[in-house]
Amino acid sequence: MKIGKLSWEFPPRVVGGIARHCEGLAKALIQQNHEVYLFTLDFPGSPSYEEMDGIKVYRASTELGHPNFLTWVLLFNHFLEKKMAEVSQSVDFDVMHVHDWLAAFAGISFKRYVQKPMVLTVHSTEVGRAQGLRSADSFSIDGIEWWATYEADKVIVCSQSMKNEICGHFNLPQDKVDVIPNAIDTTQYHTTADRGSVRQRYGVGWDEKMILCVGRLVPQKGIEYFIRAIPNIINRYPEAKFVIVGEGWSRDFLESEARSTGHRKKIRFTGFVPDREVIDLMTSADVLVVPSIYEPFGIVALEGMATGVPVVASQVGGLSEVIEHNRTGIFVYPKSPESIAWGIDRILSDPDRARWLTENAKDKLEKAYSWEAVAMKTVEVYRKLVG
Amino acid sequence: MGSSCYEDCRGLQKVGGIELGENSFRSYNAEQPNQLRLLVMLHNIGATESSKSLTIQQISEWTRMEAPELQTHLQKLIELGYAQSFRSEETDKYYLTIDGIRKVLSLYS
Repeated sequence: MKIGKLSWEFPPRVVGGIARHCEGLAKALIQQNHEVYLFTLDFPGSPSYEEMDGIKVYRASTELGHPNFLTWVLLFNHFLEKKMAEVSQSVDFDVMHVHDWLAAFAGISFKRYVQKPMVLTVHSTEVGRAQGLRSADSFSIDGIEWWATYEADKVIVCSQSMKNEICGHFNLPQDKVDVIPNAIDTTQYHTTADRGSVRQRYGVGWDEKMILCVGRLVPQKGIEYFIRAIPNIINRYPEAKFVIVGEGWSRDFLESEARSTGHRKKIRFTGFVPDREVIDLMTSADVLVVPSIYEPFGIVALEGMATGVPVVASQVGGLSEVIEHNRTGIFVYPKSPESIAWGIDRILSDPDRARWLTENAKDKLEKAYSWEAVAMKTVEVYRKLVG
Repeated sequence: MGSSCYEDCRGLQKVGGIELGENSFRSYNAEQPNQLRLLVMLHNIGATESSKSLTIQQISEWTRMEAPELQTHLQKLIELGYAQSFRSEETDKYYLTIDGIRKVLSLYS
């Protein structure tokens, strides 16, 4: 099959999980002898066209910008459309696959232009990300998301909880939406990093507990509740150190929360860290905490499971489908610092049990979350439409 | 020309070391020119690499900020590592660094 994929982010332009999802899925589709033409936006230092592991990557340059966010989105969609129209002169696509609302305008126009089916993957919703629709922009984005799901011939989501959310919120028929989980390439998580030197780089000694949190610094990730759990954890484990990896607009708020714990020196904010370094950090940590309050899937939990770090996560959204409480990880209540502290204590106080959890987690990961399986399920969705 | 900054429902005062006006995240807030708004606008108008850099005058036309105020904000963005400047034909030109681009993208995700 000739598959046209549209995403506003693709490596090295990495914003959230969409870039990694598109990369993993596209590589697996190539492995299964499909042709993938990926249309995305430019990024400094990246060529306008390249082949990455067989994926034909086209980066559209936004030749015209505008200060207004939504106008800028409309403009870059126009340039994506132009690029796709140019390529479609020589490529007869079988299906278009659009990722999230940001590329929906181009996807919908192009679906009409080439008269081919359009599949839409909804990675998250505005109402979930923003925890409500409180601004004009949010309300507009919500409307665009509804329109994209309406225009799509099939919608893919990564968890049953997301299916329930979008079927309810956008009033979609159940049979229009397929659940295909996310995946990770477990081979990338085998590291030979020297744990001691990684810990040292982040100011954590061998005899100290390294408690790691990885995620964009935005409210939906619930990092403020993790920070508020820190005094409780330090009461029990005075040698604990906390490393918070990620960047985002809440950073200053979170740093001020960290100061208010009275333990600022034990809390390190790393900012943006490259993927390889995140893997080394996970491999070197004693616990990975995923305190999200909204999480359509929670790929960071899978990444942690792949590196062998015990995972403590909020029981929300996709996380509740990825983790089995007391078998592959520990669930805690969302927005509850007390519960987060309890979950971390469960891991730190019983190293044998923590090891057992990580062994179960690795086993489950390899069986259920491979890109090969995700690609096969995705092709099934394409075939239902293409015939 | 409108501007789009995102409104933080908690009314955060600072984002990424940048002074923010109250409730200036994710909503129109043209009355509160600030560094974050400028950072977002520089990104959206396309000043994302040296070949797309803009002069103070060009930025002023897009953002409707006065040059002295712009210079103050741009200097702050440079100090934070979010923007860079260089001199070309006796004019200073400005564009975002990769860190600056990532900062803006983190607002949109």
